[in-house]
Amino acid sequence: MNNEIAEKIKGMLVERLRIPADELEYDSELFGEDIGLDSIDSIEIIVGIENLFGVDISGAGATREDFRSIETLTAFVEAHKED
Amino acid sequence: MLMNERRCVITGLGLVCAIGSDTEECFESALKGRSGIADVKGFDTSNCYSHKGAEVPLTNEQLAKGRYDRTTALGIKAAGEAMADAGISADSEDAAKIGVILGSCIAGAACVEKYYVQKSKGEKGDIEDLKAMPATVIAGNVADYYNCGGITANIVNACAAGTLSVAMAIDLIRGGKGEIFLAGGCDSFSSLAFSGFHALRALDSNDCSPFNHSQGITLGEGAGVLVVESYEHAVARGAKIYCDVLGSGVSSDAYHITAPRPDGEGQMSVIRRAIKNSGLDFTDIDYVNAHGTGTAKNDESEFLSLRTSFADNDHVSVSSTKSMTGHCLGAAGAIEAVLTVKALTECKLPPTTGYSDEDLKVLKEKSGDIDFIANTPRERADVKYAMSNSFAFGGNNASIVFAKDPNKLNLLCPKQDLYVTGIGIAAGELDEATNTYTVKMDGDTFKSYGVKTAFLRKLDRLSQLQLLSGVKALEDAGITVNGENEDKIGICIGTTDGPMTEIANFQKEIIREGIEKGSAFAFPNTVYNAAGGYLSIFTGIKGYNVTIANGFQSGLQSICAAAGAIMFGYENIMLASGTDECTDIDIDLYNDLGLTGEGVTLGEGSVTCVIEKDSSAAERGAKRYAKIAGFSSARDTSGDRLNNSRLSETALTKVIENVLEEAGLKAEDISCIYGFGNGSTKLDDFEKEVYKKIFGDGIEVKLIKKEFGEARAASASLQFAKLAQDIHDGKFENGIAVSCGTSALYSALLLTKA
Repeated sequence: MNNEIAEKIKGMLVERLRIPADELEYDSELFGEDIGLDSIDSIEIIVGIENLFGVDISGAGATREDFRSIETLTAFVEAHKED
Repeated sequence: MLMNERRCVITGLGLVCAIGSDTEECFESALKGRSGIADVKGFDTSNCYSHKGAEVPLTNEQLAKGRYDRTTALGIKAAGEAMADAGISADSEDAAKIGVILGSCIAGAACVEKYYVQKSKGEKGDIEDLKAMPATVIAGNVADYYNCGGITANIVNACAAGTLSVAMAIDLIRGGKGEIFLAGGCDSFSSLAFSGFHALRALDSNDCSPFNHSQGITLGEGAGVLVVESYEHAVARGAKIYCDVLGSGVSSDAYHITAPRPDGEGQMSVIRRAIKNSGLDFTDIDYVNAHGTGTAKNDESEFLSLRTSFADNDHVSVSSTKSMTGHCLGAAGAIEAVLTVKALTECKLPPTTGYSDEDLKVLKEKSGDIDFIANTPRERADVKYAMSNSFAFGGNNASIVFAKDPNKLNLLCPKQDLYVTGIGIAAGELDEATNTYTVKMDGDTFKSYGVKTAFLRKLDRLSQLQLLSGVKALEDAGITVNGENEDKIGICIGTTDGPMTEIANFQKEIIREGIEKGSAFAFPNTVYNAAGGYLSIFTGIKGYNVTIANGFQSGLQSICAAAGAIMFGYENIMLASGTDECTDIDIDLYNDLGLTGEGVTLGEGSVTCVIEKDSSAAERGAKRYAKIAGFSSARDTSGDRLNNSRLSETALTKVIENVLEEAGLKAEDISCIYGFGNGSTKLDDFEKEVYKKIFGDGIEVKLIKKEFGEARAASASLQFAKLAQDIHDGKFENGIAVSCGTSALYSALLLTKA
């Protein structure tokens, strides 16, 4: 996993979605019981990642699984960053 | 005494929106299916995926004389037409009796934008724009414009605000608090709302066509105002009567801050409430002007609600006029109420537009027995009862019923005594670094009430303050919300400035980054009723839900409105709050306005009081702090009406006389006044002087703002809560809490030993 990308995504989630940094691990289930994100949050993540990396993750075909955690988002960004 | 025995009638209509500059023109356009939707002209949308809007082609100067925010100017235009239609001229004796209840969602958004554009360039923001920003000033400005001397309120429940305003006017008339009201709503087209709905991907890239393609909304602007009057008053002055307004329903989804419940439960609840409160059956309704926004989530749940609610009704016609007017947010319900009255009285029902032949086939299959009016109007001579529905952010639902037939008046509940049975206080402490009184709260504060981080992180500061006092009040009252009582409990919140921090930050962000870069996460918290919505979602309260923004006294006016909601049998228990925040934004705004310093220290807080009817308190064995023996609001238009921060000895004296009369007490029976003085010599001297004239030298006046700062609506609620606690502690038997608002509006409540 690219730690630099993961850390940027974590920072974006903390800032844009007010998730406490100390409760957010790279493998935390973002849309599960722990963090409890919803559909509005997913829109915010799409915009946040586009601003950070220039990757349009909804246009690039991201699935629900890609939104599962910082780890999966990082992998998706890494795979599409050069596109 | 039965509380719902007074007939309320509609005697005047005023309307301005993208399909016309008066009621006749708008109604004719609606019948012809003429849409007001076009490419947005007010600001640059070139980087957005949608460019559609329904703007009014009139300048502010064409809408109103003088300098007003566009939302207020639209309200002035529609109010003027409604008054003229009702045969009442400004400055007349009848005008002096008129109260003004207006709904708004985005309030002075045009002035917010202008102010922060100036600031972004390093200029000093224009103080006139600053004064025009909050919803708090709208109704007072409209009332002052026409010299209307009745009470005012701004209802700020987002897209349900216009409908709620009409509902509140009926309640005030039936509660004996006024004879005639201008009731409706107004909202301007704004970059803030466009950016917010754009961020949520909730805008249609084409003209919206509700219940059809359902790809999103098209925003609009406008105002609708109805003259709501007691039948006796209308007859006595020989007024033309359009129809009766029978009753209303208000409910909460307790589900999500922006999305409606997919099962339509909250919507069905509000339809059921409105029909019951109007003394009707589901089979009586002939026409429904639907909320019908054009988003998939709304249209699916609303279609389900309508089909389920009217399953046994084989003659109900339904349409959404938003397909032509656009979604005018806080004005929507009022605009649709005016169109509904016209449809009912002229027996011509406007259509929903935008259906192709193929769309019509699909519609026929899914609408079942409902006569869904598409593209062309329906002439129905048999229409007697018509309903208009609005569903808003925060899960707020509101519905009103108009009728040609007054005979089915519903006689609701016998009058009962009301008690304060719970108090929750989140009060500020002095922060020497900022010289403000702020509330100390963090994640642990909320964890002790079972609030998880996943929920709390969504809440802005105002909503957190409101949630804290709300859960404290429920705990103090010993109330657990459950399936048995969830729809017999309601919420009424008063606020002076609402979520001004969220509004300002959102606007600053889109000025800096572009309209297309608005935050979907932040936008829902820019609506004034988000705090009430979150409280309902967390606690599961599904009853009445209204937020009033009307100056400092909002924290008392919310208690008056809560008392009304119980008196009319809507709920057994109401949470009545006053809430205002103090952030860097608030500090800057109040400093720029010159309202701080010279003895005034800004504060924040939230205070929630549980108001409960006698039978409910008795059944629960509830602790009773004190009994509400009288409540009143009053206004005065003498003096300089262009100065909406003027003081009025007449109005202050009147509210005190009113509550004394209602309680059957004399001035000498009152031991203590919890007043609104905030350290400003002018305000404090004025207040003391008036009390001295009414009560003499001996009256004890307690000014809590010395200890907690000027926390605005929260201070007003705190005055009331402290008074209740003093009476409960046996310090005295009778006391009054009083506060002031904009445009010389005052509210007072008299509490007595339980």
